[in-house]
Amino acid sequence: MVGPRRLNEPRAVAVCAAGGVPRAVGGAAVEAVREEWVVEDRWWTPRPLHRRYFELVMADGRALTVFHDLRAPGDGRWYRQRA
Amino acid sequence: MSTAPYIELHAHSAFSFLDGASTPQELAKAAEKLGYPALALTDHDGLWGSMEFAHCTQELALRPITGAELTVCLSSHPAVDGPKTPDGLEFSARQHLTLLVEDEVGYRNLCRLLTAAHAHTRDNTARVAEPAWTTLEEVERHADGLVCLSGCARDGALAGAFERGDTAAGERLGRRLLAAFGRDRFRVELQRPYWRRDRARNRWLALLAERLGVPTVATGNVHAHARSRSHLQDALVAIGLGETLESSEPRRRGNSSSALDSPAAMAERFAEHPGAVAETLRLAERLAFNLNTDLGYSYPQEENADAELARLCRERLVAAYPPGVDRRKAEGRLESELRTIRKIDLSAFFLLHHRLLELAREVALEVRGREAARSLLPPGRGRGSSVSSIVCYLTGLSHIDPVKADLFTGRFLNDEIVSDDARSMPDIDLDFPRDVREALIPRVHEVYGADRSALVAAFPTYRPRGVVRDFGKVLGLPPEEIEKVAGVVGFHESVEEMERDIAAAIGTRRAGSRRWQALMEIGKEALGLPRHASQHSGGMVIATAPLTDFCPVVPTAMERRQIVQWDKDSCADAGLLKIDLLGLGMLSAVERCVDEVEAAVGKRIDLSRIPLDDAETFRSIQAAETTGVFQIESRAQMQMLPRTHPETLDDLTVQVALVRPGPIQGGAVHPYIERRKRQREDPSFEPPYEHPSLKKPLGDTLGTIVYQEQVLEVAMEFAGFTPARAESLRRAMSRKRSQQAIEDHRQDFIAGAGKRWGVPPAPAEEIWQKIQGFAGFGFPKAHSAAFGLLAYQSAWLRVHHGAAFLCGLLNEQPMGFYPPDALVHEAARRKVRIASVDANLSCVLCHVESPFRRGEPEGAPGGLVVRIGLGYVKGVREEEMAALVAERKRGGPYRGIAELASRSGVGLPSLEKLAWAGALDEVPLGAEEERRRALWRVGVTGNGRRAGQGTTQLSLPIEPPEPPRLERLGEWGEVIADYRSTGMVLGRHPMALMRPRLGAGLSSSADLERVADGATVEVAGMVVARQRPETAKGIVFMLIEDELGVVNLIVPARVYDQSRAVVRAAPLIRARGKLERREGTTNVLIATIEELEQTERADGDETLPSPARPSRREPPIGSGRDPSPWRRSQELRKLAIAELRAVAPGGHSFGRRR
Repeated sequence: MVGPRRLNEPRAVAVCAAGGVPRAVGGAAVEAVREEWVVEDRWWTPRPLHRRYFELVMADGRALTVFHDLRAPGDGRWYRQRA
Repeated sequence: MSTAPYIELHAHSAFSFLDGASTPQELAKAAEKLGYPALALTDHDGLWGSMEFAHCTQELALRPITGAELTVCLSSHPAVDGPKTPDGLEFSARQHLTLLVEDEVGYRNLCRLLTAAHAHTRDNTARVAEPAWTTLEEVERHADGLVCLSGCARDGALAGAFERGDTAAGERLGRRLLAAFGRDRFRVELQRPYWRRDRARNRWLALLAERLGVPTVATGNVHAHARSRSHLQDALVAIGLGETLESSEPRRRGNSSSALDSPAAMAERFAEHPGAVAETLRLAERLAFNLNTDLGYSYPQEENADAELARLCRERLVAAYPPGVDRRKAEGRLESELRTIRKIDLSAFFLLHHRLLELAREVALEVRGREAARSLLPPGRGRGSSVSSIVCYLTGLSHIDPVKADLFTGRFLNDEIVSDDARSMPDIDLDFPRDVREALIPRVHEVYGADRSALVAAFPTYRPRGVVRDFGKVLGLPPEEIEKVAGVVGFHESVEEMERDIAAAIGTRRAGSRRWQALMEIGKEALGLPRHASQHSGGMVIATAPLTDFCPVVPTAMERRQIVQWDKDSCADAGLLKIDLLGLGMLSAVERCVDEVEAAVGKRIDLSRIPLDDAETFRSIQAAETTGVFQIESRAQMQMLPRTHPETLDDLTVQVALVRPGPIQGGAVHPYIERRKRQREDPSFEPPYEHPSLKKPLGDTLGTIVYQEQVLEVAMEFAGFTPARAESLRRAMSRKRSQQAIEDHRQDFIAGAGKRWGVPPAPAEEIWQKIQGFAGFGFPKAHSAAFGLLAYQSAWLRVHHGAAFLCGLLNEQPMGFYPPDALVHEAARRKVRIASVDANLSCVLCHVESPFRRGEPEGAPGGLVVRIGLGYVKGVREEEMAALVAERKRGGPYRGIAELASRSGVGLPSLEKLAWAGALDEVPLGAEEERRRALWRVGVTGNGRRAGQGTTQLSLPIEPPEPPRLERLGEWGEVIADYRSTGMVLGRHPMALMRPRLGAGLSSSADLERVADGATVEVAGMVVARQRPETAKGIVFMLIEDELGVVNLIVPARVYDQSRAVVRAAPLIRARGKLERREGTTNVLIATIEELEQTERADGDETLPSPARPSRREPPIGSGRDPSPWRRSQELRKLAIAELRAVAPGGHSFGRRR
C-alpha cells in the first residue's frame, strides 16, 4: 500500500465472551482481567466511538488488550489493539 | 426505611460551573427516583447551589447532605517555572478533597475554608477570576465538624499521588489528613470512572487505607443526573479549558459513567470493594446537618427597636400631615402598621433600612456636592410594594404618600406574613442614581463591616446566543458561521426556533451537518443552566454576625465589592436580610439634566416642587411624544397613549402598569382602553363588574386587574382569603415553585366565593382565570405610582428643558428603548440643537452649551446646544480626554493639532480616533480642517511614542507642513466615519443620501401621513428597535427611522418565519405592506420585508464615476476578463451599503422570545 498508514490500527479478533467479559481470544484462554475501561467519544463527528476495553492476562502469560465495539448500530465486533 | 445499598456522597451540579451538567433540582429528583434516601452535593469550591438543593428536597423523600470539593494546594516547593501561587509556590500541586458537613461547626468551617479559597482569586491587576484554592494548613485549622474524603480519581489528594507515581508522598499526606480529621472523620475515597488504571489505583488506595487504619468509601463523582447529559458535560469541560472537544480529550471524563446511577448499579460497580459501599450508608447516617433546618440564623433583634421606630414615625407624621382628615387616616394606618411590625419582630429591620437611607443621604451629598442643583433631590427612592407602607414613607424609604395615593399595604406587610412562611421577609427595594449607588455599596461594607455585608450573587444562565458561541467554538465550527447564527438567534427563544434560525442563517445543508446537529442536541440541554457566578444588580445582605458563618463570601470583579455564594432566592430561604440597592439609569439621567439646566441657564429645579398637572406635559404624553421618557417610551406604550389619554398622575400610574405581561395576558388592556374611552365621552359611565364585590378592589382600573395587589384584594373580597393566604397565592404564581400550590389556591378560591357570596363554581372559575392569566407578572400599584411619578418628571423635563434632558440621556447610556443615534435624530426633529464632538468645545461627557455664556446675543435662534462629549468617540482613553479638557481649561483653546498633541499629552491612538470623528476639524483656529487632513497632521505630529517605563514622549508644538492634496470624505464617507467613531450621525441622515437611488414608489415617514388607511405602501429605513413580546403570538413590532421620522411596522408571524434573518438582524430594511390608521396611531402591516439595497451609489461621489450601463452582456465575475467600469461601480455601490450595514447602530431588540 502506498501513502500514510495508521499506527496501531485495531485488528478484528475472535473473542468468546460471557457477560460481556472475554473468556478466550483467538482460541487462547484468558487467565485474568487486569483492567477494564470504557471510551465514549467523538460523538460530535460522523464516526463516534463507544468501546469497552479489557486488558487481559492470557493463560500463556501474554498481556493482551482487546475492545468490544459497542457503537449503535455498530458492528458489535471485537478488536485487539496494542496499548 | 430505605434499603438502598449505596448512598452517593460526591456529586457535582451545574454550580461547579463548566464541570457539571445538571441543576441541583434535576439531581435531587433523579436521586429520589432511583431510590436514594440521601444525596450529597459537593460542587467545586462553592456552596452556590447548596441552598437551592436543600430547598428542593423539601418536597422529595430525599435528605440533602451539604459539602464541597475543595481545591487544596499541597505543594510547598517554590515554583521555578510556570504559574505560581502568591506565596511563590508551585501551582501544579493543586488537588481535591471532598468535604462533607457533619454539624453546624463543620458547616461554619466549610464556609470559612471556601471563603479563604476565593479570597485571593481577584488579586491580579485586571481582577480577572483565577482558580480558587486554599492551603492544607488552612484545612487543618478548620477540620472540626467536617468529614474528609481523600478526593477524586484523577485530582484527589491521594489518588493524584498514585497517578503521579509518588505513592510515598501520598502516604505522607494521608497521615497528615488522618491527624487533622481523626480516624472517625477521614476516609479514603474510591472511585470507578471506568478509566484504564481504576483497579490498580483502587487496590493501592485500599491498601493505604488499611495501613492508615481507616475505612474506604465509594463515591461516583457524579457530574450529571442522567447519561443523556454526558455530551453536554464533555462540551462544558472543553469550554472551561478554552479548548476544542478534540484537544480537550485528555481532561474530559471520556465516557458517560459520571452520570448518576442507581444504588444497586453502584454497589455492583464496586463489587471488589463491598466495605467501601457499606461505608457510604454509615457515613450518610452521621452527616445529619440539614441546611433547611440547621443554619441557625435569625435576624438579630435590637433593644428598644419598637419604641425607636414608633418615635421616629410619629414625629415625622406630625410634620408630614397637617391636622385634618388625612392626618387621622395616616395615624390610624401608622398604628396599624406598627402593631404588625411589632408582632412580627421587624422593627429592627425597618430601622436598619432607615439608617441605610441616611447613610445614602451622606454619600449622595459627597457624590453630588453640597452646592449642586441635584443635591435638592432625595438620595434614592423606593420601588416595589414597600412604597405602599406609611412606615416606609415616614422613614424616607418611599417618596409616595400612601394615604393620598390610597395604596394597599397587605401585599407588603400583614400579620401572617411570617407565620405563613417562617423565613419570608418583606422586600424593600431602593432605587439610586448610578453614581450614588456605586459609592454607597463600598460604604455599606465599611460601616457594617466587610465580614457582615456582601452583595447577593446572580447566576447568568445559558441562552441561545451563548450556546451558539460557546458550543460552536468547542465543536470547531467555522467562526463566520457561528457569528452569522449568533446574530440571528434570540435571547429567549425556544429550541425549535433556534433550529429554524440556524437553518435560516447558514442554510439547511450546513445546519444538517453532524457538528451543527450536535450543537443543537447539547444546546437544548444547556439552555437555562447557570454558566458562571456574577453579582446581582443590587441585592445586598447585611448581618450582625460574620456572614462567613452562614455562606462563603468571595470578591467580585469590581474593587471593594464582594458577594455571598447564594442568589436572592437562596438568601431569602436562609432568612438573611436582603436589601435591594438598585441603580436606576433614569434617576441618574434626571439628576444630570437638573445639573445641566443650572449650569446652562442658572436655574435650580426642585423636582419635588414642579406642578403635577402641567398641561403641556400631558399634551405631549397624550400625543405619544415620549421618546426618552421613563417607562412610557416603548413602542407599545406609544401606541396606547393616544388611546388611554392620561390626564393625571393617577392615570400615569395605571399606564405604567398596563403594558406588562400580567394585564396583557389577563385580558385587562382592551377592556381598560375601551372603558376609559367611554368614560371620557360620558363621565357618568359605570364600568361593568363580574360581581359587586369586585367594585372596591377594581374601581380604580375600571373593573380590570392591572396591579399585582389587586390579585390579593380580589382574593380577599371575592373569595374571603386572609391577607397571608392571598400573598401566598401571589407567591405561588410568581415564583412558579409548585403547580400543586396554585391548584390548592384555585380550589380554595372557588370554594371561598361560594361560601362568601353564594357564587356558583362556573362564574367563580371565570374570575379565577383572570387572576391566573395575570400570573404575577405585573407591577404593584405602589411601584407603579413611584415609576409613574418618575415618568411624569422625565416627561416634564423633556418638554421644558429638552436640550438638558437629551444631554442627561446621552450621558447615561446604555438605558431605555432607543440608541443614542435615534435619540439625537428625534431631538433634532423637535428643534433641539446638537453639535458634534469638538476638541476645543467638548467636555468628556455631553454638556449643554449656553449661547448667552459664550457671548452670543440672548435669544439666539434655537437657544441651547447639546455638545457631544469626547467620551462618545469610541476607543479613546477617558483619562486622556479628561487631561485634554483640563489643559484646555487651564491654558485656553488649542490653536493647532500639534499644539493640542503637545499640551494635552493625548496619545496617538486616541488622537487618530478624534481626528476620524471630526473632533479636530475646528482645532486650527480660524481655519476649518477636514478629517483626512487632520488625520494626516496627527500622524505627522502625534504623541504616543513609548519612552520606556510607561512614559510617553510628548511631541514638540510645531505645526507640520501643509498636508498633500487629499480628497474630502464626502457626505457618505462622513456618515460611515461618524457611525464608526461615535455611533451617531448629526449631519444628513443616511436615508436622505440614499433616497434618490432607492427607486420610485417608496414612501417616506412623512408621506405616510397623507396616505389613506388601507393603502399598500413601501417604506425603507434604519431599524431603531425590534420587539417580539411573549404575549404577541409571534408578531414582531419594528420601528424604523428615515430622514423625516419613524415608521411603526407590524411583522406578522408568517412573514417573520419567511424572513427571520432580515427581521432579526438587518440594520437597514425595505418593507411593503398595508397602512393601518387607528385612533391616532399609524402602523404598516408588513407583507414582505428585505434588506435594503440601493440601486446606485449614494452620494454621487465624484471620485466614483457612474458610467452608463453597457449594452452588451457583462463578463461573469471570475471569468478572467476585466469587468467594465459599470460593473465596477456596481460592486462599489454594494460595498458602500455593506459598509453602512457594518457600522450602523442596528437597533435595540426586546422581548422574551426574541
